[in-house]
Amino acid sequence: MKARVVLVGAVAVALLPIAYLLSLALRPAGEVLNSSLLPDTVSFDNFVKVFDTIELGTMLTNSWVSAVGAAVLAVVIATPAAYFTARHVRGERLLTVLLASYCAPPIVAIIPLFFLLRYAGLTNGVAGLILVNGIAGVPVAAWLLDGFVRRIPVEIDEAAAIDGLSVVATLRKVVIPLLWPGIVAALLVTFFLSYNDFLFAVYLAVTKESQTLTVGLSLFQGDRNVQFGQQAAAGLLGVAPVYVLALAAQRYLVGGLTTGATK
Amino acid sequence: MLLVYPTICLVALAVTKSSLAKPLNRFTGLANFTGAFASPAFTPSLWKSTIFAVLVAVVTTLLGLGIALLLRHRGGGFGVVGALFLLPLVTAPVLVGVAWKLLLAPVGGGLATVFKAVGLAGFNPLGSDVGAFVVLVVIHVWQWTPFATLIAFAALGVVRPELLESALIDGATAWRSFTTVTWPAIAPSIWAVAVLELVIGFKVFDLLVVITAGGPGFSTSLSPFVIYQTGLRGSFDMGTAAAQTLVFGLVVGAVATVVTTLRARALKADA
Repeated sequence: MKARVVLVGAVAVALLPIAYLLSLALRPAGEVLNSSLLPDTVSFDNFVKVFDTIELGTMLTNSWVSAVGAAVLAVVIATPAAYFTARHVRGERLLTVLLASYCAPPIVAIIPLFFLLRYAGLTNGVAGLILVNGIAGVPVAAWLLDGFVRRIPVEIDEAAAIDGLSVVATLRKVVIPLLWPGIVAALLVTFFLSYNDFLFAVYLAVTKESQTLTVGLSLFQGDRNVQFGQQAAAGLLGVAPVYVLALAAQRYLVGGLTTGATK
Repeated sequence: MLLVYPTICLVALAVTKSSLAKPLNRFTGLANFTGAFASPAFTPSLWKSTIFAVLVAVVTTLLGLGIALLLRHRGGGFGVVGALFLLPLVTAPVLVGVAWKLLLAPVGGGLATVFKAVGLAGFNPLGSDVGAFVVLVVIHVWQWTPFATLIAFAALGVVRPELLESALIDGATAWRSFTTVTWPAIAPSIWAVAVLELVIGFKVFDLLVVITAGGPGFSTSLSPFVIYQTGLRGSFDMGTAAAQTLVFGLVVGAVATVVTTLRARALKADA
């Protein structure tokens, strides 16, 4: 009972600023600073007008395609990497190198990356964003997956080796099925990170056709009279489908598959 | 490639007089490093960034673990409630900044009436040095705790229920069964979360731009923001910015090494 009260309280704190964004989106421009958490008059104008102000449809599509692509790319590279870092004696060193590359503030990579992508003809397109965000997500995904691989008993690997499975087959047929909760969590995290990436998107995808939602949201900030209502509406239209995604993915997070595996 | 290529570029920029238009103009040796420390905001920013990163890493990890334990305790999956907890993480950083800034605005902000009701009319935490720093910590914790919650929840899935049951039958207290059964199983994941949260804390940038712009004065000028300002100043002084980045990188590396060493030791002791 006490736990439930704490949980409800925590949800309330987590949701307050988001609920406030909704309340901003539902009020006319003149009421933004009305000293209240609630709008005086409710109107859905912002949700309609925002589609005229920015190319919201294109931006949402770009954000989704680049984030899904980047998450898949990151986890596909990071899964074997994490299997190595958790199992191999020298893995610890690879883990450190990966962390070091994540430590660098991304702004320092922008200029070199820009030239690299221009050379490859990948600027101003989702393919370039998938590549950059995907690679940037590898260290995060590898660190997270390393923790999950470590909890799979080594005896399972050994049993697979005795049964004649190669390392690759062990990874594919034995380890990955046991890793699902970790893989889903890593996919979600790398998806969120790319979906909210601003720096790469603002430098590497500048054309109208390739802009992502985070860039679109920042366009509001430059105006003399910031349309906070429309900005909030656009942001919420970006958040809602991600919430649905998280709901759809959450049942894979339960796990508990290794129970009894080594008895 | 991921690491080496940007690093070489960075070192090259740091030892030359460089601007955005004319990178690698001429070799200047260590002059940029002297320039790096000449900026009054830079040295304090290294301390502030370290305090900020360590503080938020500890708080987000513990808070996330706590919420994940409560969600597990409730039974069933992550569920609608768990997904609600993820919302701060999926909200675009610019919007996070805007929401909190408007909530806290002293005149007409969303919480202005609430502040008035509790006798704090015109309360403006962003107006004071310490207040602004605390607000940034709170917002960052609000935004990044869901990351720890998500991973901790997934990690708790590998704890074997039959071990918890036998601990219960043996009369172990909740704390004791947590330290002997649950913690050893989730420790690798929780340490990974703490390390990543630390680095994310060092990298905080968007929030500063939208909410405090480093102020009041230099009170919330954390290193990434100072470096960004150096890069934009005058004719885009990329050389000094690169030198500052290298120094900052060393600090991040040193703190991260301390934490990863702690992690390696703890995991070895558990194994």
